[in-house]
Parts: sequence; C-alpha cells; structure tokens
Amino acid sequence: MSAVRGYALLLRWQLLRYRKQVVLFATIQVALGVGVIFGFSFLVPHVTPQVALYFATGAPTLTLILMGLTALPQDTAQARTSGRFDYIAALPVPRLAPMLADVTLWLLIQVPGTVLTLLIAWLRFGIALHIGVLVVPAVVLVATTSAAVGYAIAVALPPAATAQVASFVSIVLLLFSPINFPLERLPMWLQDIHRGLPVTYMADIMRGGLTGHYGVNAMLAFTIVVAWCAAGLAVSARAANRRG
Amino acid sequence: MAPANAATLAISNLTKSYGTVRANDGISLDVAAGEVFGLLGPNGAGKTTLVKQILGLLKPDTGTITIGGVDAVADPAAARLLCSYQPQASAPVDGVSAREAVEIVGAIRGGSRRAVRERAQVLLQSLDLSDIADRTIPMSGGMARLTGFCMAAVVPGRVVVLDEPTNDVDPLRRRALWQQIRRLADDGAAVLLVTHNVLEAERCVDRLAIVAGGAVLAAGPPGLLKAQLGAPLRLECTLDAEAVIPPLPSGVTQAARTGRRLLCSVQHSDVSKAVAWAQAAQANGMLTEFSLTAASLEDVYAKWVDSQPSAA
Ligand SMILES: Nc1ncnc2c1ncn2[C@@H]1O[C@H](COP(=O)(O)OP(=O)(O)OP(=O)(O)O)[C@@H](O)[C@H]1O
Ligand SMILES: [Mg+2]
Repeated sequence: MSAVRGYALLLRWQLLRYRKQVVLFATIQVALGVGVIFGFSFLVPHVTPQVALYFATGAPTLTLILMGLTALPQDTAQARTSGRFDYIAALPVPRLAPMLADVTLWLLIQVPGTVLTLLIAWLRFGIALHIGVLVVPAVVLVATTSAAVGYAIAVALPPAATAQVASFVSIVLLLFSPINFPLERLPMWLQDIHRGLPVTYMADIMRGGLTGHYGVNAMLAFTIVVAWCAAGLAVSARAANRRG
Repeated sequence: MAPANAATLAISNLTKSYGTVRANDGISLDVAAGEVFGLLGPNGAGKTTLVKQILGLLKPDTGTITIGGVDAVADPAAARLLCSYQPQASAPVDGVSAREAVEIVGAIRGGSRRAVRERAQVLLQSLDLSDIADRTIPMSGGMARLTGFCMAAVVPGRVVVLDEPTNDVDPLRRRALWQQIRRLADDGAAVLLVTHNVLEAERCVDRLAIVAGGAVLAAGPPGLLKAQLGAPLRLECTLDAEAVIPPLPSGVTQAARTGRRLLCSVQHSDVSKAVAWAQAAQANGMLTEFSLTAASLEDVYAKWVDSQPSAA
C-alpha cells in the first residue's frame, strides 16, 4: 500500500472520529481570531497599518505553532493512554503518517478562523495583503515543524508529563518571540538567539506569503525553516520507530 | 514458495524483561498456516508481552521471530503487513461506527473497497452486530471487543494475532466468534489466540501452549496433553461452605481446589469408588453436588499452572 494512501485513510478516520466536534473546534478558532483583532484595538488605541500588519499576520503563525506544541502532543499522549497509539502503530502505515494526518486535521480546523481573521484585519485596519502561492508551503512548513517537535515530546515522555513539558517548551519558545513585532525591537543578545531558532523565520515566511514582503531574504528564511522541519521530522521518526 | 507444513510464525528462545521483571523467559513456539494455536496461562504469564513483540510494538532482548520466513525483529514494517492484530486493550472505536472502523482498517490493510465492504458485512452479520453496526454512539464493552475482532479479521494477515478476543462477549455471540476464529484458520491464516476461556478454546484450537512465569510449561494438541494427564475422567464437586474434604479413595486424586470447587482426577477402573465416595460425602452434607465427566483442557491447565510456584 502506498504511503499516501495510508496517510489519507488515517486522515479520513480522524475526520470521521471528530465529525461532531469539527464544527465546534472551527467555530472556536473563528471566535479567537475575531477576538484577537477587536481586543487588539482596545489594547493599542492608535493602530498604525504597520502594527496591524504584524499583528494580523502573526496571529495565524502563533496559532499554527501552538497547535503543534499543545493540541497535537496532548492528543498523542491521550492516544497512548487509551491504546489507540499502539493500535495504529501495529497497522501497516508509514511511521509518521499518523502525525501528518493529525497535523492535517488541525490545519483544516484552523483554516476558516485564519481566513476570517485576515479578512477582518483587512476591513478594520486596511492592511495591505498580497497573498501569494508561497503561503501554502509556509503554512505546511510551520505546522509540520512545530508538530514534529510536539510529537517527539509526546512519544518520548510518559503521557502524564507531556502536557506540562509541551506548554513549558511553547512558553519558552514564544515568550519574546518576534512574531507579532519586528526582530529589531529585541535586545541584541535575544536577536542573536532568535537568528538560530526557527520562530522568526516562520513568522517571516508566513508574513511574506500573505503580504509579499519578506523581512530578510525569502530564500534564506525558507531554507532555515526547511532545515528545522527536516531535523524535527528526523527526531520524530526516530521516536516513532523506537520500540520498548 | 515455502513447503506446505513450514511454520508461518516461528518464535525461538524469546526473552524480554521490563527492568527486573522477566516477562518472557526463553519462549519457543511455532504456528502453521491453517492452524489455530492457543496461548493459555495465568495473569501476568507474559502472553501479551509475547504478542506485542510479534507486532513490533516491543523489541525482544534476545531470540528470533520469523513470519513467513521474514525476520520480524529486524523488519517490523514487514511484520505489520503480514500480521493482523486484535489487542487486549479495546480497539479504538470512539466516534466511529463499527462498520466504519472495520472498513477503514480493511482499506489500510490493503483490501479493495468492494471486497472490504462485503467482508465487513459478512463479519458484522455473523456476530449479530448488524443492528448496531451503523451507530456512532459509544459501544458497549462487548460490542467494542467484537468490532476489534472484525477489524483484525476483515483483511487477515498470514498471521492473525488475537489477544483475548472472547472477553466481555455474551455466550451466543461467543459461539459465533469461535466459528469465525476457526474459519480464519480454515481459510489459510496462522492464528495465534490468547485466551482464558480454556473450555471453549479446547473445541477450537489445534494446538496450544501453557505459559506461566514467561516460559512454556507444556505444548501440543489438546488430546495429547489430556492423555499425558494419565487420568481420563474427572470428578467435580461443589463443597458445602469451606468443608473439610473426607479422605479420597485410592485412584482418585485431588487436581485443584478453588473456593468451594474441588476437582479430582479419576481412573476408569476407579469410577465406582469415586461415585460411592461422593455420594457418601453428599449424604453427610459435605458436598452439595458433584459430576463425573471426561477430563478437559481445564484439568490440563490446572495441573500445569497449579504446580507452578506462584509469582511473587
Ligand atoms: N509496560 C510494562 N512495564 C513493566 N512491566 C510490565 C509492562 N507490561 C507488562 N509488564 C509485566 O510483565 C509481566 C507480563 O505481563 P503480560 O501483560 O505480558 O501478561 P499476560 O500474560 O498478558 O497477562 P493477562 O492474562 O493478565 O493479560 C507482568 O508481570 C507485568 O506486570
Ligand atoms: Mg495479556
């Protein structure tokens, strides 16, 4: 059986399994997106288009990263406790197919919220969006990279510890991360750290895909995120292949 | 092509420890195509540990597992293609209907859409699940267990591993389930069956192994193991409360005692002595009822497992 077929069937299984909740989850994402934009205008009374742009394009990046680092590992930990994880591990599917099917499910749940957030930001603040095809690989890369990290945590640690460690990692990673503001606002030493981490570049390729303007060189940003993604997947694959 | 009688599943000298607990301690067994092989043994004997290694969910410390000639330890991906599996833990059926779960696993195991749909229908019908097969509300424990069996049987591997498939299942459906297990083997699969249902298993398995403490104590066809008992009959008594058992006549030996139930083995030549003893004990009010029947696999089981020093 082809690898793609295995992945597609696992995705179908997840969609069937969550069919009653998908609409609820998607609605929550929509509400969050709307809340973020309107809440933001209370927080910052004089929103310049530049600030609004960072905020509106940063929001989907943040959601994608958090999905990989919180929702996905929690689901995986729960699957390990219930026996679902072992059941699927005994099926003839590629080792990373279950993770990729989960990423896809969460992406589908987030699409309506993301689109609406951008739409409202555009109407409210008149930000300049120029959505290009590169937004597609950007979304996939950001989601997959964070999911690979979250998945590796969930597989390597006891299920009970997963939620704590995953939220610790996401706090450390996202605190002071230049997602909603430019990298230059940070002190020099923190800038240097972030030049080695993928978060800045993730925000950048997302923003670039949505506006057509990349902070640094688009090629460089993509290369760095791809490298992190490959490393994350390699670690995840190792974790998934390990037998007790 | 392998010779017809070559083992489809061959396990040799398997050991597996969890820390200091030696769950499998040098297990060897093999299962041929067309055969149902029973794995019997008390809780904690190491049965689930054994089958998880076949599926590549655990890695043996030492020993080999081959499936259709393929080294399953070195190549777990191949093992997963060759084996279908019903775990002891319930199969993941939350949120989906029985039919959906069975059809998806059938497709994942490489079945064509049409063949999978037809086979799922046959299995669900034969286990009397048609009425509930399309509901997505949570299944009862037995329904989930039966669905788990259908998921393992819809596109069976060359080896089918069933870890306690009859647990939680009502008597009539259990009868149908045993038939379907038998049919898997008749259709050519090598079936490895873990069960505590010793009496019902006797009618289904071709061969079996009794494991305790991670090791095989006895293995062979049920008939042979019963013959090795050396006593073809058994006297089963229900004692009155925790009564003291009157001395047994010669030729009648106590095989097992659990609570109020006393099991003795009896030689053909000593039948009348055994019955006279039981009738006297009943008249004295020491036992409430008794029966004399042919020895069963349960007697074999009791003999081997009782003689085992109990695990700490
Ligand atoms: N993940 C684990 N970590 C540590 N010890 C384990 C683990 N799984 C099982 N064991 C131990 O290994 C031994 C064998 O367990 P196993 O589950 O293989 O028994 P079993 O024969 O399947 O029992 P049962 O009939 O109750 O299902 C037991 O002592 C058990 O406590
Ligand atoms: Mg078990």
